[in-house]
Amino acid sequence: MGLEELAESLGQNVLTTTLGKVVGWGRGNSVWPAQFGLACCAIEMIATATAGVDIARFGSEAMRASPRQSDLLIVSGRVSQKMAPVLRTVFDQMPEPKWVISMGACASTGGVFNNYALLQGVDKIVPVDVYIPGCPPRPEDLLNALMILQERIKAQGIQPRQ
Amino acid sequence: MISDQLIIDRGVSAGDEWITVPAESVHEALAALRSDGYRLLTFLTCVDHLADHSREWPFRFEIVYQLRNLETREQLRVRTFIDGDPPRIDSVHDLFPPANWDERETYDLFGVVFNDHPDLSRILMPDDWVGHPLRRDYPVGGETVEFSEEHERWQTAPDEA
Amino acid sequence: MSTPEGVTIVKTGEKGHFGGEILTVNFGPHHPSTHGVLRLIVDLDGEMIRGIKPVIGYLHTGIEKQMEALRWQQGVVVTDRHDYLSPPINNLAYALAVERLMGVEVPPRADALRVIMSELTRLSSHLVWMGTSGLELGAMSMLMYCFRERDTILDMNEEISGFRMHTSYIRPGGVFADATPRFLEMLDKFIGEMPGHIDEYEDLLTMNPIWRARTIGIGRLSPEDAKVLGATGPMLRGSGVAWDLRKTMPYSGYENYDFEVATSNDCDCYGRYLVRIREMREAVKILRQALDRLPDGPVNVDDRKMLPPPREELETSMEAVIHHFKLFTEGYSVPAGDVYVAVESGRGENGCYIVSDGTHKPRRVKFRAASFANLQALERMALNHMVADMIAIIGTADTVLGDVDR
Ligand code: SF4
Repeated sequence: MGLEELAESLGQNVLTTTLGKVVGWGRGNSVWPAQFGLACCAIEMIATATAGVDIARFGSEAMRASPRQSDLLIVSGRVSQKMAPVLRTVFDQMPEPKWVISMGACASTGGVFNNYALLQGVDKIVPVDVYIPGCPPRPEDLLNALMILQERIKAQGIQPRQ
Repeated sequence: MISDQLIIDRGVSAGDEWITVPAESVHEALAALRSDGYRLLTFLTCVDHLADHSREWPFRFEIVYQLRNLETREQLRVRTFIDGDPPRIDSVHDLFPPANWDERETYDLFGVVFNDHPDLSRILMPDDWVGHPLRRDYPVGGETVEFSEEHERWQTAPDEA
Repeated sequence: MSTPEGVTIVKTGEKGHFGGEILTVNFGPHHPSTHGVLRLIVDLDGEMIRGIKPVIGYLHTGIEKQMEALRWQQGVVVTDRHDYLSPPINNLAYALAVERLMGVEVPPRADALRVIMSELTRLSSHLVWMGTSGLELGAMSMLMYCFRERDTILDMNEEISGFRMHTSYIRPGGVFADATPRFLEMLDKFIGEMPGHIDEYEDLLTMNPIWRARTIGIGRLSPEDAKVLGATGPMLRGSGVAWDLRKTMPYSGYENYDFEVATSNDCDCYGRYLVRIREMREAVKILRQALDRLPDGPVNVDDRKMLPPPREELETSMEAVIHHFKLFTEGYSVPAGDVYVAVESGRGENGCYIVSDGTHKPRRVKFRAASFANLQALERMALNHMVADMIAIIGTADTVLGDVDR
């Protein structure tokens, strides 16, 4: 088959693009969060998965119980000094490429609890891609963060982290 | 019946009845109260009176037991004062099972040692933590917040202490 | 029993009942079914639980220390966040305690609004419990139904206080603001619809064979044990003890409402579920009465030393400006003394013990957490059950880890 015949037989059913874009598109639309609830914010995270807000529209309803099957860590709530090593372990167990959303004031900065017990910002132990303000953030805020992250993943292409 | 010799002081604070007992006989006093019908220990905690000038305190640490009689619905607060390094007091976990964790928590946060406790270890803080955070001379911690006037004063221990 | 951090399975070498060895297994703190960050160290003989030791503290937030560093009126914000499924009830315990120490009484309308908020919270807390427990025990759709109504409640929270979850609505001296007409409308509509929704949940769960198989006879707790172990709330009432602080030691005018204390003599996980369902029905009843009899009048005490003056006064009165300034720079001080106030939350006795040394910050604030005491009963309930039943037992104990660890 010559090239022209091939093109003819395929008709309009062909797209040409770069590999990076395809990979980014695929990754961006199937971000699976790890099921990692910590405190009050986790309740709003659950609410995001329910019918009213429905995170499934963005391909992220598959909350994985095992970090080894997920590529997004939503740190939903306050991280205590005792929990910090656990959080880091969970993060380390996730396969590359992986992303982190820091949900809520506590995860981002310690929130209203500026004291000995809490890690003042989860970015001290894991790299954070998107921060969400609010205490707790609304479910819509989480969706917004997810959309921002998706944009970023799509733009990153085949090599997410340099 | 709890004998009057065990009661050093009694009174009412904001509608709550309380008695003070000597620290050595706290187990005896609580056992007597328990047989009087105060079967439930609602909670047990410690108050640190470091540099508290609201009145004269016999010792720095006050251990508070809040008891309840489920039949008559009466409540009673038992106080006792201790000092020392570390402060020591008898455990009451054999009388009131909920005291088990409460005592561990008090040990963790205040450094009060409960004699004869089956498993006196840290419960809230990590095992290798240094210090007892709820003591007044333990700093609140956290980070300095820029442009905040409040943070300089975020020490629960007054300067004179 | 001390198990090194990070070790997942330890062979003890002891012979188990079924010929195998007893293994020590680590669950959590990050485990999908432990309701947060609870860690359990379990001795297993085959599938049987022979010993269980909860390890807590993974959510220790230092709330009590934080309260000591904040002024009296700032503390309200922090109380919201310890038992994060029932913020207004936490506020209520704190507010009542501060008011008792200061010797102030709030006006009747404030009391009624407090009752309304408490009952709405109780409903939403039970809804979250039912949704997540259903999810864990295989009734996935429960989550969708329960969160639908919870969202309605949160919308109401938002209408009355401007915030969805941590409302800080109930404050020492009254409430944040009067109910808006739209809030009352929403509440009226909600009360009308809710009984139907509760029927819907019952359709899904009460006779559901899987739900029954997984909860009936599981996690038995005898009435004596429940009392001795200090369990409160649905845990105690699920064991047939009619103890409800709203009835036995009424506060905020609960004595004026006609409702029943829901109990169940089943003493198992199913009994606790029934108690919660009935409690939801009673809550709707209380809401109806509170709404119908909502008194008129102010919602805050008329005390310029405790609450800021209204906005209009600030423009005309110098005194008001001074009060305003004093309140927001120094705060008020509470007479020296100590007080313990307990209120009934969705989980049980939610108490607040406050010691004041007469300054503008508390000397000590201790929260008596219902979950903390209830979790201690876990060992008694879970022994000699299968591992999978442990999920049902932890689920129906309804522990909120923020409440346990504070
Ligand atoms: S940010 Fe607020 S809602 Fe989120 S965990 Fe912290 S206190 Fe809770």
